[in-house]
Amino acid sequence: MTIDPYGALGLTKSATADDIKKAYRKLVRTSHPDLHPDDAGAEARFKEIAAAHDLLKDPATRARFDAGEIDASGTERPQRQYYRDFAEAGDNPYQQRQGFETHGDPADIFAEILRQRTRQGGGDFGDRGFPMPGPDFRFMLEVPFLDAVRGGEMRITLPEGENIAVRIPQGSQDGQTLRLRGKGGPGHGGGPAGDALITLSVRTHSVFRREGDDILVTLPITIDEAVLGAKVTAPTISGPVSLTVPKGVSSGRVLRLRGRGVPVMSSKAAGDQLVELKIMAPPVIDDALRDFLTDWRKNHSHDPRAELLNEAAS
Amino acid sequence: MTEHLTEDEVLAAIPGLTRTRLFAFIETQLVIPLRQETENSSAHSFRQVDFARLRLLCELTDDLELDEHALDIVITLIDQLHAARQDLLAIVRAVEAEGIEVRTRVGSAIIAPKK
Repeated sequence: MTIDPYGALGLTKSATADDIKKAYRKLVRTSHPDLHPDDAGAEARFKEIAAAHDLLKDPATRARFDAGEIDASGTERPQRQYYRDFAEAGDNPYQQRQGFETHGDPADIFAEILRQRTRQGGGDFGDRGFPMPGPDFRFMLEVPFLDAVRGGEMRITLPEGENIAVRIPQGSQDGQTLRLRGKGGPGHGGGPAGDALITLSVRTHSVFRREGDDILVTLPITIDEAVLGAKVTAPTISGPVSLTVPKGVSSGRVLRLRGRGVPVMSSKAAGDQLVELKIMAPPVIDDALRDFLTDWRKNHSHDPRAELLNEAAS
Repeated sequence: MTEHLTEDEVLAAIPGLTRTRLFAFIETQLVIPLRQETENSSAHSFRQVDFARLRLLCELTDDLELDEHALDIVITLIDQLHAARQDLLAIVRAVEAEGIEVRTRVGSAIIAPKK
């Protein structure tokens, strides 16, 4: 960058430190991107101004620049994200109003806005101090897997020290935000208190996994259960249930336990639990099993990989 | 999910931000980070929006020499400005999606002088 830092601030080399400070402050007012969200050129201008100020604000650096020891290129600022980039986003937590969310007829949106306007601005001049809702408090809460799935209760401590119960609804998801009305900061001038917003972070579980409303479990079975079929016990989120393993299953076969998945708040139907079977060899291979299989192999060999190898070659 | 920063990361990345100043910002709710609650500890967790906002707060304090009261007023006005802009944008988008007849009618109602 070959800009002249004095030129960028609208100054000459004879400027005093005070001049530099004044000129910079004035330009920040007119060019800071966050103070001029609609000005597309503000970012480039501010970058140049800030770089010039970085170079000239320190008398030692300025002297070296004036003496030609350093040039303006070293002070170029890296790309950054301004607050306006986030403030434009719909989910900006510092938003100063409730937004257009309505649970009724979209045609009522305008009426609702007008109603809010009149309530906030309608106070006469004798009414000092307008009502302002209190700020929302934000929390992040780690929730055990089963509490999120089945619903539960946890406690959090508010900034004021109050310890409150948080009801975790059934089927809560990772990243979901709960709103506790009136548990935020106090309102001003008769305004309502803010809300506590709690973002859930659901822990993983060693046995259960979740995919949408379905619960996934890998269930180990023995060789004889796989061959002969069996009634086995499988864990579910609401306790062990009995499960029939059909005859002649292989590892990877998935059995569905209907309605044993995540309860869904909005409908009566819960998700399913999917049980993936996994055949486990016995810890000790005894003589009987070995002899039997050795015999069996002689006359009944089949190759489960034949098709796979064929397809791989084609 | 969005990337979150710890208190130390935020302090290291923003020139002019001291721990005292950061706590003052949090105390006065100029910035409201998430609170990471685990079994027996509680720590602040800063989103990218908190980070950008902290940097703006520091610039307003240092470059424009705003004191805490002026800073509060300015940041509140900036927030209101963004809210108003977003409302406006939503309305403009909604009207833009309407047919020519509606656009004309709404447009002329805005341009027409008030009675």
